[in-house]
Amino acid sequence: MMKKSWLPATVLTLSLSMLLAACGSGGGQPANSSGGAGKEKFVVATEAAYPPFEKMEGDKMSGYSIDVIQAAAEAGGFEVENRNTTWDLVFTDLENGKVDASISSITITDERKQKFDFSEPYFEATQLIMVPEDSTVTKLEDLKGLKVGVQIATTGDTVVGRVLGATNQDIKRYDDLPSAVDDFFNKRVDAVVADNGVIKYFADQIKGGKYKLLKDDSFEKEHYGIMVKKGNKEMLDKINNGLKIIKENGKLKELQSKYFPE
Amino acid sequence: MGWGVIIEYKSMFINGFINTIILTIVAIIFGTILGLILGLGKMSTRAYFRIPCSVYVEVFRGTPLFVQILSIHTVLIPGIWQTFLPNADTPSAMFTGFVALSLNAGAYIAEIFRAGIQSIDKGQMEAARSLGLTHAQSMKLVILPQAFTRMLPPLGNEFIALLKDSSLLAAIATPELGYAAMTVAKNTWERLPAFGTAAIAYLILTLFLSKIVVRKLEQKYTPR
Repeated sequence: MMKKSWLPATVLTLSLSMLLAACGSGGGQPANSSGGAGKEKFVVATEAAYPPFEKMEGDKMSGYSIDVIQAAAEAGGFEVENRNTTWDLVFTDLENGKVDASISSITITDERKQKFDFSEPYFEATQLIMVPEDSTVTKLEDLKGLKVGVQIATTGDTVVGRVLGATNQDIKRYDDLPSAVDDFFNKRVDAVVADNGVIKYFADQIKGGKYKLLKDDSFEKEHYGIMVKKGNKEMLDKINNGLKIIKENGKLKELQSKYFPE
Repeated sequence: MGWGVIIEYKSMFINGFINTIILTIVAIIFGTILGLILGLGKMSTRAYFRIPCSVYVEVFRGTPLFVQILSIHTVLIPGIWQTFLPNADTPSAMFTGFVALSLNAGAYIAEIFRAGIQSIDKGQMEAARSLGLTHAQSMKLVILPQAFTRMLPPLGNEFIALLKDSSLLAAIATPELGYAAMTVAKNTWERLPAFGTAAIAYLILTLFLSKIVVRKLEQKYTPR
């Protein structure tokens, strides 16, 4: 009898404790609990599929954005816990208070400013058009009639939508940029429009594919910022203070030349 | 904006609606053909026929459709095209949809066919054979017509599941209903209108399938 009954009891105990553990970490306050050393710890959401800005290395997150937020936190005297999520949840989790801030190569736009508050910029970006080496495309307008891959709801999506029409079936919207670039090399799309830093990274990574990167002067310069919940001035001030210090002491420049050597 | 975004993006939803229907119809046709072959194959007495069919069914039922879609789209189809058709364009995401949904449905439909056929009393086959029919004739004229009636409800379920599962193709930018909803929701922040419209559209399609198509077939094939 004893032999038989331990199994269901163990399973029940285990699953109950797992459930409790899940509730403990999932619900309630956005883990902004005080650390042991008196430093506050904040949870920062990132979609770690955007190298060299954000990526996963084994089970650790790395990249330019990660280094920037860590350096800013160190300078500003707080701690940051990076959490990997999806592009969509980078916004939604912040909106719902599940995280304290988001750093995920997020371009500061007026549209986003209505819903969130942004830190001072930490990167200047522009869009680039990726086309085959022998392509006759020279500017954004030339993409009319071609199949264009973008990452869904990014600046690339917006600018291509402006030229081709947002509902145009020729715009192929992918959940992540690697999928779009993958389909570019598999010749399913004729071009990809995305931020300079990432597209350059893929240009170096993928060997054998023949392509070129084009600039279009109609693309405005954009800035990446760290996003916090609307009205969370305390968090924003902490981040801006940290950013200010690393801008002044040269740390930010150092990181930039490490990740984007010209 | 609110529900107005649906008007603004209506062509995406209409295209998505049509493409979802096309994907489902193609997958139902090829899935049923494949399922019949696999189902009969699984009951074959010849091991060289039975074992591959069983392995196929287990693999496609035992792995998530999502993983199958991604593997077929990024590995299988580009691989085949680069090897055999290096100068042709790799087919679009819709093609991946046809292939992935048909291959997946085939595995489930195979089990529906097998279960339907095996549910017919052994005496039916014995009686048919004793009247001088061959095994194949008995199967075609006696067993399958009776089994088909019993297969219709689970087949209806499978077709409805197939229709809904086609939304997974949004991950590879297939212009179907789920993709339209995702694009609008993420670009406009109007999530309730976007997902609500898609949900209603799917519901219209599934109700049409279950209340009209499957019911008509059941009425036609149920012996009175």
